[in-house]
Amino acid sequence: MTYERGLALCLLLEIALFSAIGWNFFTAGNAGEIVRASAEVGLLALALTPVIITGGIDLSVGSLLGLCAVVLGVTWREAGWPLPAAVAAAITAGIAGGGLNALLVARLGIPPLIVTLGTYSLFRGLAEGITAGVKNYSDFPASFLVLGQGAIGPVPSQLFVVGAGALGFWLLVHRMAAGRALRAIGFSPEGSRYAGLAVGRRLGAVYLLSGLCAAVASLLYVARLGQAKADAGTGFELMAVTAVVLGGTSIFGGRGSVGGTLLGLAALAVLQNGLRLADLPAELAGVATAALLLAALGANRVLEGRNRA
Amino acid sequence: MRLLSTHRRALSVAAAYGALMLALAVAAPGFYAPANLRDVLVGAAPVLVAAVGMTAVILARQIDISIGSQFAICAVVAGMLARSGLAMPLAAAGAVATGGMLGALNGLLVAVFGLPAIVVTLATMVGLREALRWATEGVWVRDLPAGFQWMGLGQDAGRFAIPAVALAVWAAVAWGMRHLAAGRAVYATGSDAEVARLAGVRPRRVVFGVFVAMGALTGLAALLSAIQFIDVQTSSGVGFELRVIAAVVVGGTSIAGGRGTLVGSLLGVLLLATAGPALTFLGSQAYWDRALQGLIILAAVAADAVGAGKRRAA
Repeated sequence: MTYERGLALCLLLEIALFSAIGWNFFTAGNAGEIVRASAEVGLLALALTPVIITGGIDLSVGSLLGLCAVVLGVTWREAGWPLPAAVAAAITAGIAGGGLNALLVARLGIPPLIVTLGTYSLFRGLAEGITAGVKNYSDFPASFLVLGQGAIGPVPSQLFVVGAGALGFWLLVHRMAAGRALRAIGFSPEGSRYAGLAVGRRLGAVYLLSGLCAAVASLLYVARLGQAKADAGTGFELMAVTAVVLGGTSIFGGRGSVGGTLLGLAALAVLQNGLRLADLPAELAGVATAALLLAALGANRVLEGRNRA
Repeated sequence: MRLLSTHRRALSVAAAYGALMLALAVAAPGFYAPANLRDVLVGAAPVLVAAVGMTAVILARQIDISIGSQFAICAVVAGMLARSGLAMPLAAAGAVATGGMLGALNGLLVAVFGLPAIVVTLATMVGLREALRWATEGVWVRDLPAGFQWMGLGQDAGRFAIPAVALAVWAAVAWGMRHLAAGRAVYATGSDAEVARLAGVRPRRVVFGVFVAMGALTGLAALLSAIQFIDVQTSSGVGFELRVIAAVVVGGTSIAGGRGTLVGSLLGVLLLATAGPALTFLGSQAYWDRALQGLIILAAVAADAVGAGKRRAA
């Protein structure tokens, strides 16, 4: 049995369990709710998959989401820019933030954990500074909110964005030469360099993409909640990392899949939603997540050992 | 020359710290009011105690991001033990022992089962925090005995004792890391675990040990923080791990293990703890504090990377 099949089985068990004990769990409406609630973390997790495959990490994505949300709010509400220009500004902020990580990791060769720990503080701090820590931008027009609250039939609009993101990252990681390069870098950066791979450029690209995804996630977030505040996306980076690792991507790099990340994300989202609908304490979700993560690590190790033998 | 190379980062952080203190002396002498300096030190004491443990963890090439959750649990345990009528020194010991046990849980998963520390402590960070919230339902520990706040020493003596305890712990560990076999074993394990094993060090024991020490020191940090207040919050310590790791990294300890000093960590803690209040005294707004902290971290590591590149080229 492969790891991913085991995880899929876990997810099915979760769904069966919550369908049996929860009210209104197994409905199309609730499926939409789960997608809506996990779309932003999902985008971040997708972007983190190639980052972690290269043996890196990006802890700054949640903070960057907050900064982009604030940039959107400030340029639109305070500077009076038209909304498309404000959206472009938020996207630019995301690319600039990702670019800073890329520069420090790929050019200066500083460990990603340290770089993104620094930018984790910097981006959230800029968001707090710009808004004086308290300002909250709201009253976005309905044409924008549809991105976070609208639906086409039973399908919430976020699903199209996340779906496109998933397809893009799947092509990148599993169907392009660049994806192979990312794995090679994850196994051995130095070896990859000698093999003629543009290690710096590839690394830079995954951090840039991560910044871009944080910006897009900020748009979904603001459109879903109808407000932009400096604390947007707090803690999202840890949820995203959890989904990726639960999905079987090795934190040391070299191994991982986009499909696994989506399964990991779904397992977490269903767990949270199901516990709430079953009237169980919400804290149980955190405890169960921790247990699931440790079990996943253990299972991965056992399977790895068997494959090697 | 050897002194210069081991303490290169410490020297540049000390220079940055000196420049900041000089700027304050010129532009805002009010910062030097004894009461203010004392407040900065009291505020920095818990971070320093945890940074001592984190330095050892990172030197052993590990990481622990669960200490914020450990911090909250230890503070609550200290409060509950004190409220149950236990003598304050015993309640304090209980907090430290609780931290040691939580650290042992991480140590067990990392050293014995061989799971990666960052994911293990990510799991315990989330799990412990939520378990605490579940157990306490977010209710603060109130109605503490009079002897809880300031350990019954009174405000003035307490504010003196807290930084003094932190500095004593720092000095003892700094000495031990240089002069005791156990301290050198931490460096050896972090530099190269396999070579350390061949040289007769037991890397797994060392790794287990640093996690236990980290937990115990987190317990002490939580105690030093909790006794400054009249109630114990159940949601304390959120983001504590990142502040502590940032201070250690700014102080020059290499995340790849094996390189770094506790002198550096002390300077890192002081620089980051002073930056926030300094900002206010220099007339800026406090809500820029976090951005400044981020800039300091990035400036410290970027300066190092650029400098290392130059040295390699030379």
